[in-house]
Amino acid sequence: MIRTTATAGSTGQPQAPRSWRGIIRDWPSRRPWIWSYIAALATWIAVSFVAGRGFGGTLTSTFGLVPFLVLVGIGQMVVITLGNGNIDLSLPNTLTLAAYVSTGVMANGKGSVVLGFLAAIAIGLVVAAINSFVILALRVPPIIATLSVGLIIQSAVLVDSGSMTADPDPGLVSFTSSRVLGLSVLGLICIVVAVGAGFVLMRTSFGRSVQAIGQKVQAARLTGLRVRTVIVASYVIAAVFAAITGVLLGAFSSPSLDLGSPYLLNSIAVVVLGGSLIAGGRSNVAGIWGSSLFFLLLETLLEVMGASVAAQDVVQGVLIVLVLVLVGNRRNE
Amino acid sequence: MAVKLEARRPRAVVLGGGRGVRPLWILGQALPGLALIAMFIVCAVIEPDVLSINGVGLLLSPAIPLVLAAVSQMFIITVGDIDLGNGYLIGLVTAVVAVQMVSHPLLAVAMLAGIAVVYVGQAVLVQTRGIPSIIVTLGASFVWLGLGLSLLPTPGGTAPGWLVTLMNLKMLQTNRYELPVPMSLILAALIGTAAYLVIIRLPYGAVIRAVGSNPDALRRAGWSVLKARMAAYAFAALFAILAGLALSGVISAGDPTTSANYTLLTVASVILGGGQFSGGRAVPFGAVIGALAISLVTSMLSLLNVSSSYQTGVQGVVLILVLAGRVLTERSDS
Repeated sequence: MIRTTATAGSTGQPQAPRSWRGIIRDWPSRRPWIWSYIAALATWIAVSFVAGRGFGGTLTSTFGLVPFLVLVGIGQMVVITLGNGNIDLSLPNTLTLAAYVSTGVMANGKGSVVLGFLAAIAIGLVVAAINSFVILALRVPPIIATLSVGLIIQSAVLVDSGSMTADPDPGLVSFTSSRVLGLSVLGLICIVVAVGAGFVLMRTSFGRSVQAIGQKVQAARLTGLRVRTVIVASYVIAAVFAAITGVLLGAFSSPSLDLGSPYLLNSIAVVVLGGSLIAGGRSNVAGIWGSSLFFLLLETLLEVMGASVAAQDVVQGVLIVLVLVLVGNRRNE
Repeated sequence: MAVKLEARRPRAVVLGGGRGVRPLWILGQALPGLALIAMFIVCAVIEPDVLSINGVGLLLSPAIPLVLAAVSQMFIITVGDIDLGNGYLIGLVTAVVAVQMVSHPLLAVAMLAGIAVVYVGQAVLVQTRGIPSIIVTLGASFVWLGLGLSLLPTPGGTAPGWLVTLMNLKMLQTNRYELPVPMSLILAALIGTAAYLVIIRLPYGAVIRAVGSNPDALRRAGWSVLKARMAAYAFAALFAILAGLALSGVISAGDPTTSANYTLLTVASVILGGGQFSGGRAVPFGAVIGALAISLVTSMLSLLNVSSSYQTGVQGVVLILVLAGRVLTERSDS
């Protein structure tokens, strides 16, 4: 494999500033993910005071809710890092379909959990195959391609949910909310997954290819990268992550038609707030965790403050834009 | 001193390029029209009653809000941006109209103006902070939806009578004479012409188009890219508000979520009509015809008695096929 110079944007630093002031000024701008943690920290303190549940209780309960958003966010991030308009807007529908199908397969605990996961992965593979075909072979721009594929999956959900009677597998249900030492098992697993994803993106030839394609696709092609293969693989990762999240979320809070809908905007928002570039070429897994924590803490904060769902939407929208205005999302910043 | 830009007609320039008229180029130009005619023929075969003035009116009048929304999206795509909040924005407008327009018309107008100002504010963020429009509009879509739901948590309210009457008008008529053209076609033509006059014929239209094709050149020529982008967003806001008015006339009420899929449908309409994500190419009539064709897909599916579970899926397949056809003609064109 050709070793490209396309390392993560933040590690290819120019000369370090000498003065302390310079270091203090430049440190966060080199680490765009830091803002999501600062935002999460501020919200955490606010929630703890308003809800009166204490710092620890707030964090451990949020910790159990975050994994779903983190998993979908990581998948979305891989695709967005490809740049050139790549984005997967069919993820929420994939998630919902996987939740229904896997719940049906696991059939109240009479079926096999392993088969449920395999069914979800198969759904992810099929969706990714369709997305890749429409984007690469039919050359439909990814935004409308994946939105249209999303409509097709939505149809499959409607058809499947009509005959749906099963409840989620009881074993899986208790697993999704189980805790070790007071911490959600799912959250702990998700940390391992995030570290793995970070390693793959930063240290393997695949991950570097993804970033290289996002930085300049022509250059990536000229260095001999198999651009199409990498693109297909990225869509596979995104769809399979969303499908697995669907299985877990289906067990955590039973399947419903709009199970995935919040993830359309949120998956993109956590990617961008987490310091990955929406234009592609730079990704950041740590930021996904930070911004997912921020999002869920914010949701909790608004809930305990008694805000309506509508008001929550408004605040969330304003905050996404506001954070970006403050932090910026430009390639050469 | 700003360099004066000529409002040129790109079509004439391309045709006069001296390389002769290429068949695929013509196919590309005619594609939205062909798609529209094909959908219409399918509808007429399933339901022959469609072939009357009333039938066409019935078939196309629900399309008018989408046509206006597509023109709104066209302004945004022309400057190289994309509006992912378009659907909920229009939903919010229907909510404002249905809740306030009858009881407090002035307040309603003020609220709509406020929406337009916020909308134009997006252009400032995109231009000065360099935040991609996809994110700004996505964030804004939360805001539109939230505002819409807080105004009108469940669909309802009442649209003003004149709007309902206008949207249900079958044709222009007086006591003695009636114009034998479906009202919805007249409206669609008017919308297309208005957009054409603004973006193609108005000298400043060329400046707006240049934001999408070559902002650096525009800047060097002494124009403000910020102002031009704001102008594009202002026109987009105008047409989106008109779309919301038209939609509340069609459903004679307000509903913040009914137009959620407009976001996808308007983008698809513009691309089908010949627009490009990279910007620079304005296609007013293409967007109008594209929107008519795409809204006929829905009508066709309900005429075909496709079960509602499958309708969205078939819509997705048709969208992909139509857009793939568009891209194929584009590629051979270059």
